This record gives sequence, C-alpha cells and structure tokens, in this order.
Amino acid sequence: MRLSVPQAILAVALAASLSACTSSGSSSSSSASSGASGGTIKIGVDLPVSGADASIGLPTQNGAVLAVEEANQNGFAGGKFKLDTSLLDDAVQGKHDPAAGAQNVKTFISDSAVLAMVGPFNSNVAKSEIPLTNDAGLAQISPSNTNDGLTIGEDAKKLRTAHPDVNSYFRVCTRDAKQGAALAQVASDRLKLKKIFVIDDNETYGKGLADVFDASFRQLGGTVLGHEHITANQVDFKALLTKIKAQNPDAVFFGGNTSTGGGLIRRQMADVGLGKTPFLGGDGISDDEFEKQAGDSANGSYMTVASPDATKLPSAKSFVDAYKARFKSDVGPYSANAYTAAKIEIAAFEKAIADNGGKMPTRGDVLKYIAATKEFESPIGKVGFDANGDTTSPVLSLLNVRGGKKVVIDVIQLKS
Amino acid sequence: MHFDPVLFAQQLVNGLSLGGIYALIALGYTMVYGIIELINFAHGDVYTLGTFFSLAILTLLGVTGVVTGPMLIVVVAVTIFGAMILCGLTGVIIERLAYRRLRNAPKLAPLITAIGMSFILENLMLYWKGPSPIPFPAVIPNPEFTLGAVTIQAKQVMVILLAIVLMVVLQAFVYNTKLGKAMRATAQDKDAAQLMGIDINTTIALTFLIGSALAGAAGFVSGVYYGSTWFFNGFGAGLKAFTAAVLGGIGNLAGAMLGGFLIGLIEAMTTQFIGDQWSNVVVFSVLVIVLIFRPSGLLGEALPNKV
Repeated sequence: MRLSVPQAILAVALAASLSACTSSGSSSSSSASSGASGGTIKIGVDLPVSGADASIGLPTQNGAVLAVEEANQNGFAGGKFKLDTSLLDDAVQGKHDPAAGAQNVKTFISDSAVLAMVGPFNSNVAKSEIPLTNDAGLAQISPSNTNDGLTIGEDAKKLRTAHPDVNSYFRVCTRDAKQGAALAQVASDRLKLKKIFVIDDNETYGKGLADVFDASFRQLGGTVLGHEHITANQVDFKALLTKIKAQNPDAVFFGGNTSTGGGLIRRQMADVGLGKTPFLGGDGISDDEFEKQAGDSANGSYMTVASPDATKLPSAKSFVDAYKARFKSDVGPYSANAYTAAKIEIAAFEKAIADNGGKMPTRGDVLKYIAATKEFESPIGKVGFDANGDTTSPVLSLLNVRGGKKVVIDVIQLKS
Repeated sequence: MHFDPVLFAQQLVNGLSLGGIYALIALGYTMVYGIIELINFAHGDVYTLGTFFSLAILTLLGVTGVVTGPMLIVVVAVTIFGAMILCGLTGVIIERLAYRRLRNAPKLAPLITAIGMSFILENLMLYWKGPSPIPFPAVIPNPEFTLGAVTIQAKQVMVILLAIVLMVVLQAFVYNTKLGKAMRATAQDKDAAQLMGIDINTTIALTFLIGSALAGAAGFVSGVYYGSTWFFNGFGAGLKAFTAAVLGGIGNLAGAMLGGFLIGLIEAMTTQFIGDQWSNVVVFSVLVIVLIFRPSGLLGEALPNKV
C-alpha cells in the first residue's frame, strides 16, 4: 500500500472535487396546459439563495416574487391565467455553481408551464445556462450578470450553440466594459489615485471586470503595479498582500465576489499594514456579507452596483414601499432589477396571450415580445433591450463603506 | 523584478506561519497513518471543527475582542484545552463508530469511509454556523516586533512556536513513554502487540485522541491568526497538510513538521516570485518531483519494518 500514497491523493482529490460539482436535486411540478385557454404560466427564477450568496440572492428573488404576486392581484391577462413562480437555488455548499444552474434550467425547460425565466445572478452560471435556453427558445432575463462575453462579440456567439442567430438572453443591468471603465474613471478622476494593484478571482465575472479596469485605468494615465489571480477556496492572502504592500499602492482593486475572497482580502489587508489603503471593487462586493467578513477593515472600500440605487429614485418609491410591506426588510441592490425583469416578462406574456386568441402562448411568442421591449416603464427607469440583449439605459451607483455601512455617494448615468 | 532581501525575509515569516498551521494538522494525519495505515480524510474537518469549538467556547466566556492581563492566560488555556478535548473526543468517536469495524476490511473501505466522514462533518458545520466565513475574535494582543526592517506579528510567533513545541512533546511522548511504546508496537504488528498484552483498541483510540486534539489546537491558532473561519476550510487545509505529511515521509513526526513548513514556504515564495495563482501548481509539482526521487518522502517513512 505504501507506493499507492500519491495515487490515493489524486483519487481522493478527484472524488472530492467531483462530488463538489454535483448539483442538489430539485423538484418541479409540471402542469401541462399547452394550447388550453386558461391555466398556469410560470416564471422560472434561478438565483443563489443559500449560503454566502444568499444575502444578495434572496432579496433579488423577492423582487421577482413581488412582481408575480402584484400581477395576480391586478388580474393578470383578464384573470383567465394564473401566474406562478418556480424558485430554484443554484448555490451548492453555499456558493453559486454553474453545474447547478444548468440543472435548474433543464428543470424549467422540462416544465411546459415555464414560459420565461429570471436569472441567473452570476456570470459564470449564465455561461452554462445560455446554451440551454438558446436551444429551448426560453427567454431569460438576468437582473445582475455583468460579464461582456455573455452578450457581446465572438464569446456571446459561441454560447448560442443551437441557434446562433437567435438571442434568448437579456439583462437589465450594466455590463462590465462600462462598469470597469466607470470604476477606473472614479479611481483616477474622483479619488485621484495614481498606482493601483489589481487582484481577481479568476472567475468569468471577476477576471472580466478586473481586465477592463486594468486596461481603462492605464488608458487614463494611471499605473497598474501588478495583476494577480487568486485560487478557489483560498483563505491565506498574507503572502500576496505582503508583496503588494512592498510596492506602496494607492489602492487595491478586486474583481470578484465577497464569496470568492473579497471580504477576506480586505480583512487581511489590515494584518500587513494596508488597512488604510482604499479597496475598490465592482458589484460583486456590494452585498452586506462584505462588511461582516471584512470587519472593521471594511471602511474605506468603494464599490459600484450595476443598477441605480432604488432607494434614491422617485420612480422606485412605490416598489420600495411595496417590497418593505411584503417582506418586512429593505430592498437589496438587485431587487428592483429582478422586479423589472419579471415585469417585462409578464407584459410579454399578456401580449402573447392576446395574440394567441386568449390561449396559452408558446415560448417563441414570449421571446419575440421580450426582445422587442422598448421604453418599458419600471422602478429603475425606462428599460429597453438592444440587439445583443443589453439594456439601452446603463446606470451605475457608486458606494462607499463608512462607519461599517455602505453609503451611496453617486449615481452615474452612462451612454448605451 | 529585483531581489529584495527584506521582502524575502517578510515572506519567510508569512510562509513559516502558514506552514506552522499545516504542520499541526499534518501531525494528526501522520500519526494515524503510522499506526493503522489509514489516510484519515476527515482530519482536515476535525481541524475546522476545532475553530468552531474554540469560537463556541469564546462565546460562552463572553470574549469578543482582545483580552489583556492575567485573564488572557485563563481564556487562552480554557479555549485551547477545551477545543483540544472536544476535538480529541470527536476523533475517538469517529474511530469507534466508523473505522474500528473496518479495521480488517480491504484498505479501500476505510478510505472511502474517511471521505464520507469528511462530508458528514462539513455538512454538520454548514448546518451549525451557516455557509459564510464567520469572524473570529482577536483574543491575543498583537504587538508587532521589528527585526531589522522585517515586521513580525505576535500571532505569527505564536503559530510557529506552538507547532514546534507540540511536535517535540509528541516526539518525546511516542519515544519515551510506555503508552508511546505501545503505539509503536501496535504500528509494528497489531497481532503480536495484542499477544504481548497491549490493548490495541485503547492504543488506537489514544492515537486518534492525540491526533485530533492537535487539530483542535491548530483550529484555535488558525482562528486567531486569520480572524475568521469557514466550514469548508478543512478541505483545502487538510489536502495541503496531508501533502505535507507525504512530502516529509508519512508516519514520521519530524517529517510532517518539515513538510508543513516547506509547503507554507513554497506557497509564500511562489506568490512573491511567480504569482499567487500558481501556488498550488508549484506545491504539487514539488510533491511529485520529491516522490519520484524519494518515494517515501524527504525523511523517509518511520514505519517499522514488517517481516
């Protein structure tokens, strides 16, 4: 047995990593009512609602649920159809998981009552879902995916494996090319930073955002001292931060999520004497979990949210109030986006039902109307989709952590 | 990049502190392997359980931040011994429930059982404290010493010293006491040991008690060192610690220590001179290269020769 020790390591590491990839089983009740006049139409909602991602995922899910409940109260489609949600979780062991997301989408696809879906939350999950929804012709609107490759260029085309000319994927938030560039602008013009060290988590979203920030900050005349990638489940960042401190950065930029290292990096910055150095990031560290994990060191961090801050917008007042009354808690950064996404889908359902003579519409009809969305009145302003599926009115909120709490310090309107 | 000796020394301290934690965990792996040739994959999770137990004890004591004066000694002693006892008992229970029945089964059965135990413990911790990293109180005042231009934190000194002290104590125990002799005899030949009047069930249980207690101590230390803990910590740390044990020569206490420090150093230096994302690649490449030339690890296996 002695010689088998290295093999045993490999076998065990493999077994453990495989089992970490299996998705939790999910059940769905399928109510086939195709072609009938009347019945139930469902919106599939796939978000990470357990674990480290729950603090941002759950309020997002609530937004979609609220939209469906309101539509039912207001007599959806003349009262002939009932709207429902199918809520699934793509977090495995507390963290968003592309394989689990794909499994959830398969569940939606096999449920003929699901005519559109809201989600996912994370860009790497979207990468595993878009080929499936593209094949099935199921429209999906993400409240929060910001990675450029999901809608733009060759990368996006590659995701549309079954029907390269048909787009089934839309998003109501601002993409990373704009978010990263805006963050670079904030760092250079507003915060007057000259030398920044860039770290990312090597995930679809984190690396994409960090790359854009890196390039934009250099273009604006700033110096990027270095760009490092951390590994999954890493907990010790002291060596990396010691290396960074030796280069005296004005700030550290992190592309990634709180759950992939953002909170712990900020906490350990204090250990190596970088506690007073500003920490910058995107919407991935805009959840409440960030302050919890970073502790006292959270202060002095700046981050953006790829949507307007709903609590500050007059157009969102009635939504914010209704949300508070229903869920007895404050809205999350992406609640209004999920609400808007569901609203757009509900409007498309109604048009498709009317088109179909009051009968159950097809997924194709729904997709057509969602793609044609223009100037849709919503809590986050007038929303429409361009040919790529991106929003035509990109907005960012800039947040700063002060006294252990995030404060909105600016809302930035961008060109589409 | 030009070579900066101060930065190199600073990374040496970082690497040794990280290595100290690996070493404390590796001691438990190596002890269990030495006596029953089982790779106890649940050991990394017993270590994480150690941080959770420490956190629970600190909460009971009402400690939320730095403790000073004589109370510090009391708090640290109570927490560390509490965590060691609770983890030790966990180890004994795991051995009694899962491994003892499989002692004469083919080697694969207990190995798979160990992976199963690892998942059970992880999910129990997930249920207990939730899936996010949890803040851990600082407990120990953390003055910084400067040695030339190198800054060393008290926490780092504590980790390194504790790892060395516990290794020395353990070595003395195994080689200079009657119980240690019984452990070595059991490792050499269970049946013969039994014929000589050694209660091998008790001896193996004792091995699990000591190994898991060390993981408990490592748990407390890592909680203080990182200021946070997470239910999934044990997976990565356990894998590295196991690698440390193999690198040093599995079954060999001094080897586990050496392997732990080496892996910590390799990680820190890779981050400094190559890039953080390559640290795991370099660690495991070094392991493969060492095993090619020295299949039984740097210091060799300390298993007695079997006839």
